[in-house]
Amino acid sequence: MRTVTITDVTLRDGNHAAAHQLGVKEVELYCTALDAAEVPIVEVGHGNGLGASSLQLGESKDSDEKVLKAARACLKKSKLGIHVIPGFATIEKDLRRALDIGVDVVRVASHCTEADITERHIRFVREAGKTAFGVLMMSHMISPEELLEQSRKMENYGAEAVIFMDSSGNFLPDAVADRVKILVNSLNIPVGFHAHNNLGMGIANSVAALSAGASYLDGSARGYGAGAGNAQIEVLLAVLQRMGHPISIDLLKLLDAVDAAEKAFIPQTPVISSASLVSGLAGVFSGFALPVKRIATQFNVDARQIFFELGRRKVVGGQEDLILEVASELAQQQKQQQSQNQLQQQTQQQNQENNYVTRK
Amino acid sequence: MSHANNLLVQDCNAALTLQLPKLAPLRNSILVVTGGTGFLGKWIAESVATLNDGFGFGIECHLIARNIQRFSTECPHLCNRKDIILRRDDVRYMSELPRDTSWVVHAAATPDNREHASHPVEIMSAISEGTTNALRLVSRLSQLQMFLNVSSGLIYGQQSLDLERISESTPGTLNCSEPAASYTEAKRFAETLCAAMRTQNHIPVTTVRPFAFVGPYQSLETPWAINNFLRDSLKGNPIRVLGNGKTVRSYMHGADFASWVLTILTNAKSGRIYNVGNSEPMCIENAARMVANCFAPMPEIVIGSSVNTYPHVSRFVPDVTAAQNDFGLSLAYDTQRAIERTVAWHRAISQ
Amino acid sequence: MNPPQKKLRVAILGSGNIGTDLLIKSMRSNYLECTAFIGRNLVSQGMQMAQKLGVPISSNSISHIEENPDCCDLVFDATTAKDHFIHAAVLKKLGKIAIDLTPAKVGGMCVPAVNMEECLKQNNVNMVTCGGQASIPIAHVIGKTQKDVEYIEVVSSIASRSAGPGTRVNLDEYIHTTEAGLKLFSGAQRTKAILNLNPAHPCINMQTTVFAKVDNPNIDALKPELERMVKTIQAYVPGYNVILGPIVENGRIAVIVRVLGLGDYLPPYAGNLDIINCAALSMAENFAIERLEYK
Repeated sequence: MRTVTITDVTLRDGNHAAAHQLGVKEVELYCTALDAAEVPIVEVGHGNGLGASSLQLGESKDSDEKVLKAARACLKKSKLGIHVIPGFATIEKDLRRALDIGVDVVRVASHCTEADITERHIRFVREAGKTAFGVLMMSHMISPEELLEQSRKMENYGAEAVIFMDSSGNFLPDAVADRVKILVNSLNIPVGFHAHNNLGMGIANSVAALSAGASYLDGSARGYGAGAGNAQIEVLLAVLQRMGHPISIDLLKLLDAVDAAEKAFIPQTPVISSASLVSGLAGVFSGFALPVKRIATQFNVDARQIFFELGRRKVVGGQEDLILEVASELAQQQKQQQSQNQLQQQTQQQNQENNYVTRK
Repeated sequence: MSHANNLLVQDCNAALTLQLPKLAPLRNSILVVTGGTGFLGKWIAESVATLNDGFGFGIECHLIARNIQRFSTECPHLCNRKDIILRRDDVRYMSELPRDTSWVVHAAATPDNREHASHPVEIMSAISEGTTNALRLVSRLSQLQMFLNVSSGLIYGQQSLDLERISESTPGTLNCSEPAASYTEAKRFAETLCAAMRTQNHIPVTTVRPFAFVGPYQSLETPWAINNFLRDSLKGNPIRVLGNGKTVRSYMHGADFASWVLTILTNAKSGRIYNVGNSEPMCIENAARMVANCFAPMPEIVIGSSVNTYPHVSRFVPDVTAAQNDFGLSLAYDTQRAIERTVAWHRAISQ
Repeated sequence: MNPPQKKLRVAILGSGNIGTDLLIKSMRSNYLECTAFIGRNLVSQGMQMAQKLGVPISSNSISHIEENPDCCDLVFDATTAKDHFIHAAVLKKLGKIAIDLTPAKVGGMCVPAVNMEECLKQNNVNMVTCGGQASIPIAHVIGKTQKDVEYIEVVSSIASRSAGPGTRVNLDEYIHTTEAGLKLFSGAQRTKAILNLNPAHPCINMQTTVFAKVDNPNIDALKPELERMVKTIQAYVPGYNVILGPIVENGRIAVIVRVLGLGDYLPPYAGNLDIINCAALSMAENFAIERLEYK
């Protein structure tokens, strides 16, 4: 029978919500607890993965090396996973060292249309005898057929599974099920799904994926992740249990882990803020939430307008510099609008005065 | 002669001896191999060397390929021979072949599926334009006796699990509108093109559809299960079987591959098509055991080594009765022996 | 300066998109004459174009230059890094200037707006990367005007369609080379390069953002130097424009530039390919001026 494998992404995706400030301390605490609960894969690192600490995306509190070593020391039963995007992380600078430290599972990711940039990284991981998965991000931007095409490439490169991510939290359950079905029917490798909760569909979409044949699902503690957060791992587990799926994770111990995480490093459990909702509707990468908030304040513009404009421009994850450009353009438009309004008011006033004079 | 080369000569001797009388038409002739530095090309070159050195065949063999540097480093012993001539050229743009060529094996196009995924347009061009140009070139050769087109067992699409073996008459199940079909559709096009040239220009053409192989010269970097098992074991790592181990393949040794191709080249009737491969099915779990048995201490075999044991299985096994009946072809090496020979060669070259 | 009567004779190795675009650019030049367009495939579109333009063509690769050593003075190499290692040795022996557009890095790194004079003394120069050509001049003026540049980071986004299979398989090399160039020309202690591919339709123009972490950002000092630098670049890349900055945001200096291609053989959205060709052509013209003494 098909089993479902759960990956906890709190220490990676949650880093988007924590401005990449989850470091060694948090990793040690939560990894130890997850290992006790026997969660199959624990993913750690910068929100955009290995080698992504940057001014563009936010700098990590602790280096990749420190975080990976800490996680490695704490994980005995669980496998240590990382997220890797070619274009940010290179094999020589980043990946080789990560494997040396003892990473078990490397999820090599690209924007959903760009799978061919993952060839070398997947190859490298497989040749080193480690597990490589392919990850397609922002998958709402393409049709199920295109998603299959890109997944096939990853399968050919040697990916042992393909996981598609709803990075914007834009999908509804039927759309997820359609995609999982077409992938499962056509690929020889298992399929996974990674949810975001911008439209409140995190759990519903995960369940739809599972029912349609998915073998991998992602979740995070209290849903702690980019934007409106991910599928809440403890809820996901409870739902799977209700559905009668055999799960190897110890639910009570997982709840202990999640409670400890909440106390230690989740200052605010994710909510679907107005900005996140708009972001989900506009189909913008959830990781943009914090930088948009910061830049909107600095330029004194409406964060929701920034999201709509970013959505219109079809930005992809990693293009955070465009937030600056968009915000500065909106600020300029606002200024022009204001001065036009003033001009109009003045003219109206003058007209009124003139009228007054004439009438007089 | 080095130990590794010795092994190769033994392999060729074993495979060729079985067919020797049928290979007589090759004596004192010119043989051209396009894609001459690939897996098949190298084994044909080894076989030619064996036929010439051991049996006085006097074949002149021209290997044509875009990248001949790798051949020089991998097969230095074949590079300084008068009877093996390397030529760097792109089969799409070649303007002539040796005038007195009798035999052409057209084997240009990589079977590496990662290449197919990343460069589908280039692959389609290499196969379609390459085959077109090769056929035009041979149409001007007055001595030509046979043009052998190397197609692929993949042109059948996915083998149905309840079909024991695929025969040449099985219709394919491919969807031509997917980019994943770029290699296989191009190969199908090439087969049709060969048929068209045969009927229109009366060029003698035969086609082979190779299945799966093992042996010296096969790069362990290619993403096929048997190569991964060999690589893992040679590195002293556990053998990782990703799925449940029930996927079914069959493996033919490279020396048998070359000897079958040369036999079909010289004996087939124009227009005939033959599967080439081992018809004995084997689940990859057993293949992993055979690899493990070659090592002491025996590497551990981890079934379902990927995180999630996924029950997906596939099957890829040829029916080769046509080749057996028409030419009495058989194997010098069964899977077990083929794997043992491969391991021995890898050990020899790493010393 | 007056256009010279005599032109520097250039050969172009590589008949793909880059080589063909260089051909069209060199046909327009007052200082250069393309005397050989060399590839491997006589029926390629580049070859057809060269033939139409009346430029001598050859499918003999580097052998053409070896067999006709008098055919040119300077060679643009638009093949691959692997090939350039072989070509470089031949060109050195024959005493030809080589402008290398591959990532081979046989010669020193060349960014005309920054180190033109130095490059004119060399016989093999490497054009770094597209992101490097766009960002290194900015990093250079930041290094020049700011004290203690701790870190420089460059993020480039290019249209998915402008990144061919070669670019895709060489992303790691792109990053390493760009980072090395940034370090060399800015003096920053640490550098980082990031590349995004964006599949949006219509295609996005190449955009590059330079971030810098410095002790006390001095925008007043940076502004005039940056303006001067942008003018220098615009002389050979007309579509190069600053669209934001310099500003200080979140404690970091940020400058965003956009590069619109000339649309010669390559489409205008491929500003990433155009900028490296424009830089290479500018380098060749300056070699012409220098070597033919039309100063």
